[in-house]
Amino acid sequence: MESYRRTANDVSAANRNLAGVADPVSHLNGHRAAPMDPESFHDASQRILATVNTVIDGKSDAAELALTVLLAQGHLLLEDVPGVGKTLLAKTLARTIDCTVNRIQFTPDLLPSDVTGVSIYNQSSRLFEFRPGAVFANIVIGDEINRASAKTQSALLECMEEHQVTVDGKSYRLNEPFMVVATQNPIEMEGTYPLPEAQRDRFMARISMGYPDRDAEIEMLETHQAVSPLAKVTAVVSAADVAAMITTVQQVFVSQAVKEYTVSVGRATRDSALLRLGASPRSMLQLLRAAKATAALDGRDFVLPDDVLRVAEAVLAHRIILDRKAAGAGETPHTVLQGILQRLPVPQAAADAGTRRGTSVAGLGTQR
Amino acid sequence: MTVAPARSPGTGTAGTPPAGRPARARAGAYPWVMAAAITLAVCGAALSLNGVLRGWGWYWPVATTVVVVAFTLAGLRALRAQPLLVTAGGLLALGAVLTLTFFRGSSILGVIPGPGTAAELDRLIRRASETVLSETAPVAPNVGIVMVICAVLGLAVILVDALAVPLGMPAATGVGLLALLVVPAMIKPQSVGVWGFTVTAAGYLTILACSQWFAPDVRSQAGPVRNPGQLRRAALTGAAALTATLLVPLAVPGFDQGTFPQGSRVNPWGTGTGLNPMITLGNSLRTPDGSGRITYATSASTPLYLRSVTVDHFDGESWGPDDRTASRLPLGGQIDPGYAVLTDEQQQVTAIDTGTFSSPYLPVPYAPESVRGLNGRWTWDPATLSIKGSDATASRRQEYLVTSSVPKLSATLLEQSSAPVRDVPDDFTRIPGNVPEIVRSTAARVAGASATPYGKAMAIQRYLRSAEFTYSLQSPVQGGYDGNGLSVLADFLQQKSGYCIHYASAMAVMARLEGIPSRIAVGYAPGRLTGGTVTVAGQGELSEYEVDARDAHAWPELYFQGLGWVPFEPTPSRGVVPDYASEASTPAAPGAVENNDDLVPDPAPAPTATPSATPAPAPGGGGGGTDSGAQLLPWLLGTGSVLGVLLLAASPRLVRVGLRSRRIRPRDPVEAVPQAWNEILDLGEDYGLPRDPHETPRGYAARLRQSLLGEPGGMDEAAHAAVASVTAAFERHRFGRPSAAPVGSAVVDSAVKDDAGRSRDAGHSRTAGGRDGGNAPFAAGLGALEGSLRANAGAARRFRAAWLPPSVMGRLGRLAAAPFRLVGRAVARSAKAAGRAWTGKSRRSTHDGLRGQGGG
Repeated sequence: MESYRRTANDVSAANRNLAGVADPVSHLNGHRAAPMDPESFHDASQRILATVNTVIDGKSDAAELALTVLLAQGHLLLEDVPGVGKTLLAKTLARTIDCTVNRIQFTPDLLPSDVTGVSIYNQSSRLFEFRPGAVFANIVIGDEINRASAKTQSALLECMEEHQVTVDGKSYRLNEPFMVVATQNPIEMEGTYPLPEAQRDRFMARISMGYPDRDAEIEMLETHQAVSPLAKVTAVVSAADVAAMITTVQQVFVSQAVKEYTVSVGRATRDSALLRLGASPRSMLQLLRAAKATAALDGRDFVLPDDVLRVAEAVLAHRIILDRKAAGAGETPHTVLQGILQRLPVPQAAADAGTRRGTSVAGLGTQR
Repeated sequence: MTVAPARSPGTGTAGTPPAGRPARARAGAYPWVMAAAITLAVCGAALSLNGVLRGWGWYWPVATTVVVVAFTLAGLRALRAQPLLVTAGGLLALGAVLTLTFFRGSSILGVIPGPGTAAELDRLIRRASETVLSETAPVAPNVGIVMVICAVLGLAVILVDALAVPLGMPAATGVGLLALLVVPAMIKPQSVGVWGFTVTAAGYLTILACSQWFAPDVRSQAGPVRNPGQLRRAALTGAAALTATLLVPLAVPGFDQGTFPQGSRVNPWGTGTGLNPMITLGNSLRTPDGSGRITYATSASTPLYLRSVTVDHFDGESWGPDDRTASRLPLGGQIDPGYAVLTDEQQQVTAIDTGTFSSPYLPVPYAPESVRGLNGRWTWDPATLSIKGSDATASRRQEYLVTSSVPKLSATLLEQSSAPVRDVPDDFTRIPGNVPEIVRSTAARVAGASATPYGKAMAIQRYLRSAEFTYSLQSPVQGGYDGNGLSVLADFLQQKSGYCIHYASAMAVMARLEGIPSRIAVGYAPGRLTGGTVTVAGQGELSEYEVDARDAHAWPELYFQGLGWVPFEPTPSRGVVPDYASEASTPAAPGAVENNDDLVPDPAPAPTATPSATPAPAPGGGGGGTDSGAQLLPWLLGTGSVLGVLLLAASPRLVRVGLRSRRIRPRDPVEAVPQAWNEILDLGEDYGLPRDPHETPRGYAARLRQSLLGEPGGMDEAAHAAVASVTAAFERHRFGRPSAAPVGSAVVDSAVKDDAGRSRDAGHSRTAGGRDGGNAPFAAGLGALEGSLRANAGAARRFRAAWLPPSVMGRLGRLAAAPFRLVGRAVARSAKAAGRAWTGKSRRSTHDGLRGQGGG
């Protein structure tokens, strides 16, 4: 009970901090940042990843995926057992970027207005004044999101989708870049409100951190004994840089073949006998966006099927629902997705005459 | 996509489950289709037994047996019996059908073997074994041999079925079918024959297709998609192999007779060793090379026939020499012919060297008076004067001197010899009981009008030598009347085509019908001069002749009172017609008869005069020019076909090399990158790493580099760099922004830039691009890649990549399969349409019915 109260205080403290930031409905809105040139993009992304990796040992994949989601303008769901560094990852990522960060500890008594903000009557000016909630930040860390009531969850999820908050009929734009990193504990589900499918669908990707390997764990014990490594982390890129990177990602080229491949991934999940629910069209959009970010991080200005494959599991696994029989047979969403992706033909210019003709036609199409 | 239909029944409407029907239909049709395929294959293999057994009468019991056994197996399998029970049932069915066909008399209810069946079976098997031992192909289809063949083919059906279905090794059924085809291949001169082979092959392919199509075992159902290409591939492969089998013999010289080369006949026993020379004669004549060479030198002025044995028993299905072992006398002093010759006789001395010719009978000129210089124990027959070794004595490596006497015969003398025949054993005059009608009527028609025995004999010979008859070694085999016997004779007189044995037996039998004692002599026609001479004591130098298996011959001997046994020559274009048997109108040119082997010197000049004379030119030969021309043509043909075969063998490599050079230097520079990528794919396939359609270019490149190349940074660094740069360039070409993909060194540069941290690669690729300009940016890299692949591969793989590159072979296959694919697609489409129409109709009808019920 006490902890709840403390977390509630945290929220209010964060709100106060936020109030100090000048013009929270940010200057980044309205116009799109200019894209970044490839070298700077590469340098910036490498700086971010290097910094995150100094804090989180042996989890470079997770760090890269988190950055991918940030650049793809998605939201991240971290789901794992307690104590593997979910919150640490979120915090580190947030601190490497010179931007506003808010953390919300979700509790059952957290109210929607705590998240979105509330209009308060200012007696001196005799006007209603909007006090922005915790969501008004560039990066919002939602800890243990499944502990909050459905009402509160919904408030957050609306913000995630719309990038705006509506209070008393008035809409307020959220900051750009805006990213929610939510964590969820799959073990202690008692008295919680697990996210329904429709709401899980709002998150671009879900990552299970997993335990670090033996060496990484030993190193962690050595380096993190005295001081929190988080304390040493300083911002390596500015919010404007991130906005520029996001613009770069948006301009990554997607060929017809990759679009077709992405669609065929989605259709394959819907046609699979092992799945009760396949991937939604929205998830296809998010898959492609994540693939674009992956391609940009890899230093390319075009998407490969490999990029789609690389993010497909993280993007799709939390959206699909297994058939009861398949679940009984020991399948997991990950194994099913792997099976589907392995059997899916990849578009490529083939050696034989028939397909070569096909590709040349496709090439003409793209040139036109 | 393919799972969707499997899922739909669950969500489908109630009523008959749509999934149940095809599943049950599949289980139901499979055994029957398979049985039909096996029947086709085994009956096809049985077709080729036609030349082994005479005629077609035996085919129906065989076909019945095969059909009954195959469909019994299918029926049991349709009832889902245990596999062992099915095979046991097949054996029982085989027993029943054999009993019904062959032992109906001694059986119970016609199908169960009765107590007397064992003895009957023993008798039939003994009969079959006698046939096998004493006769040669084609044998008369007697009950014993047909029973054995039915049993063997029935067992073959069970074996093929067991291999194809319960054991799941359909490809191994070929062994069983091959076992059936081996018999005709070894026995028949023209081997298996086109029809037998084609139908067997078709049946075999159908068996394979059935097992593939119905996929009874779980293994082939593991994949979610049944690959329709497999059936097509099987059909294609089979058709290609069949075409090649039929076409290659046409292209290769020497394969000019029969479907398969005659030389393929295995004859481990050599020639001339048979117990029955009548039977081996045809085969001897057909041997492509002359084996069993005999040389002889003679003082005779006329062409000399060497006689081994005579045949005088014209009864039974197959004739053979009668040894008369009881009356034979040991060869010692004078040989007495046993009859008086009332005219002048001429003494001849002949020195004979038998060489490798091996036979129990000794070839000697007729009529021998004494034989000197023989080793071993020999006996002679007073009735026929044939000389035979007793115990193990044979004619191999004998050199001996024969003194023989020949009566000085002339047409006048023979004409005068019209006295009734006395003191000739019954053996030579007895008319067999079952002479076919055609033989009787022919004899009466041809010779009935002549008054004297000589006139009758001349009439018969004239008839047989007329233009109606043709000499052919092959047509009796093809017509199924090769061999001898009265039924063969009837066939011969109908077909009017055959070789010496047919002519000789025809004349001998017809002469006997006309009252002239006759017998068939078997031996050798006059041979060729070797050019050498042999010195015989008391005779001086005699020119030497040679004969071999190709000169084997048979001719009739007719008995004339007071003159003894007189040989005739009814066979056109073989042997030499003696003076007395020539037509009276041409007495001046006794030797100028049509004679295939007119290498025998004219009797007019002394044979000793020019012993080293060059052989006369070939018949129809104009001189040396045609000779060399005739020799040049086969040479040209041979060289041409050898070159053709070499070209064919090298064609995959040539195609591959052409493809590579076109890809490395494409005409259109836009194509440089995809072509380079295609080249990498093909190189990978050639060295055993085919492309997986579920793999990204990057994934394939990584796999290639990992499994076919060495560690990066080592010897294969250039190859690694080439793969990396081509892959990156291809990715950009295929998936990148279309405007930003200029070809040439720019591509390489950007590709290299993508490949971060590989400065060495960059240098390498850039030099490659720079040297070749924009035209062939990847030439050096691909060359290095191929070098590394070759260095890392084993010898076998290297060879295959060089001469039978899988990428080309696969493409050729696809190309050749294109028409099949089109047809298959059309058939599938129409079948689907028909199926849709049918189900639509049936659904509508059920709906109508329901509505009708509701209304009522």
